[in-house]
Amino acid sequence: MKKITILSAFAAIAVLPPLTQANDLNINGFLSVGVSMLDNNDVTLDGFDNNGNFKNDTILGLQISKQVNDKTTVTGQLVSRGSDDYATESAWAYVNYAASENLDLRLGRIRVPFFYYSDFLEVGYAYDWVRPPSEVYSIPFSSIDGTDLNYRFSLGSWDTNAQLYYGRYSPSGAGVDLKNFTGLALSSTSRNFTLRASYHRLEIETDGTGSFGAGNTAAVAGVTALKPLLNPTNDAAIDADIDQVAVDFALTGQELGFYGLAAGYDNGDISAIAEYTQSFADTPFFTSNTTYLVKVGKRFNDLVGHLTYTATENELDSGLEGDVQKALGLENKQNSIIAGLRYDYDTSTALKFEIQNHDEEIVNGAKGESAMLYTVAIDLVF
Amino acid sequence: MIKFKPTLLALLLTTASLIVSAETAVIVATSNGNGAIDKATISKIFLGKTKSFPDDSQAVPIDQDDGSAVRESFNSSLLGKSSSQLKSYWSRLIFTGKGTPPKQLGSDADIKSLVSSNPNMIGYIDSSAVDSSVKVVLKF
Repeated sequence: MKKITILSAFAAIAVLPPLTQANDLNINGFLSVGVSMLDNNDVTLDGFDNNGNFKNDTILGLQISKQVNDKTTVTGQLVSRGSDDYATESAWAYVNYAASENLDLRLGRIRVPFFYYSDFLEVGYAYDWVRPPSEVYSIPFSSIDGTDLNYRFSLGSWDTNAQLYYGRYSPSGAGVDLKNFTGLALSSTSRNFTLRASYHRLEIETDGTGSFGAGNTAAVAGVTALKPLLNPTNDAAIDADIDQVAVDFALTGQELGFYGLAAGYDNGDISAIAEYTQSFADTPFFTSNTTYLVKVGKRFNDLVGHLTYTATENELDSGLEGDVQKALGLENKQNSIIAGLRYDYDTSTALKFEIQNHDEEIVNGAKGESAMLYTVAIDLVF
Repeated sequence: MIKFKPTLLALLLTTASLIVSAETAVIVATSNGNGAIDKATISKIFLGKTKSFPDDSQAVPIDQDDGSAVRESFNSSLLGKSSSQLKSYWSRLIFTGKGTPPKQLGSDADIKSLVSSNPNMIGYIDSSAVDSSVKVVLKF
């Protein structure tokens, strides 16, 4: 008994607030490894082909966080992705100031709350899929440099988190600058239900260099080159209109953004989620994109079976802008059906099997093909 | 730590044999200023949604070790979540830097001893283990 008392006393000291929090360095990590193979090479899907791919789903994340004083916490999360040749990036690197129990202010590198799963986008263990479907989760970056404010409040049984952020994303070498990046995400949970709504907007600019800038420059040149096709009679007024479309194609600070809605249910046995996004843009360089997914899951002890339908469609503008977009092949319409099985091997390891039928109804303006993707993956948190 | 394990195991076994009607008691120190605390508030404290007791003093929830029967009962009856749901819930918070789960600090005897000596702590034990060193704020 004496020994236990001593042990307890030690433990009491160890967890005595705020001493503990001040001295605790929390280290957590996650690792996902996967093997995927497409049954043909006629589609473009998440970088896979008809040979076994061992690296695109491989993601290693290490996180450290420390409470430095009563109100301030620092958090850093380094993520190394196989799809990016294991280059290490800071997905999170911020200092959090808890202004009150309900209000947090963060400054640094933060994940943008684009989607339902954005906050823990790469923590495969936290969801059933191997990876969130790229029909909806199509934004090629997930973190920006900036600041945000998280405010929590309760109304009846609904607990709500409101997140307002502002920042900028200007990756080196891509020739693109996303400025005045602003958004709001509201997420409410009540028992087994979650509702989410978000809005995001930014101004996009390119200097014409880098992978992205070169693409935009080529598209602008492509618009002008369409004159013989769209204006065979050389009408001066139509030529001027096409020149204007070319000007609008060049990204010089136009507004771009999207809003998203999601609803989820999970009672531990049956789960469902639906997510919808709609984009908008000043420039016809970006077509209006609508995406959605619907997923249902059923748990059988340590097994979860799940089924998802997801689709994305790019709609063309009307009039001359639409004609230009069509001629440049900006029309896309794709969907996937994903059937998967998740097995919880223990409380920190999940084994996943997935089959995805990806159908490219229209790809770059032309009729596309379909293919099956087979994946086996392991997700761990530690 | 390993040295104490046989003693703890013996204690666990003794406690286990005593469980007849497995009622769970949520406990705080006798010096804690709160009276009864409702299920919703306790749930918020253990899910990291609030860091304070109803009287605004700081609340530090502590968990029993993984796999204990009392913990399973607390998770399913009070928090209304399975252990896999909770694991997923916490992994979502951990990797956004928004929270860390309560520390796991042993079984009935350990929790009772810790809670009795710290007015900020809140834990849960099998109600048969309750004695005058702690105050029960909810029994279910």
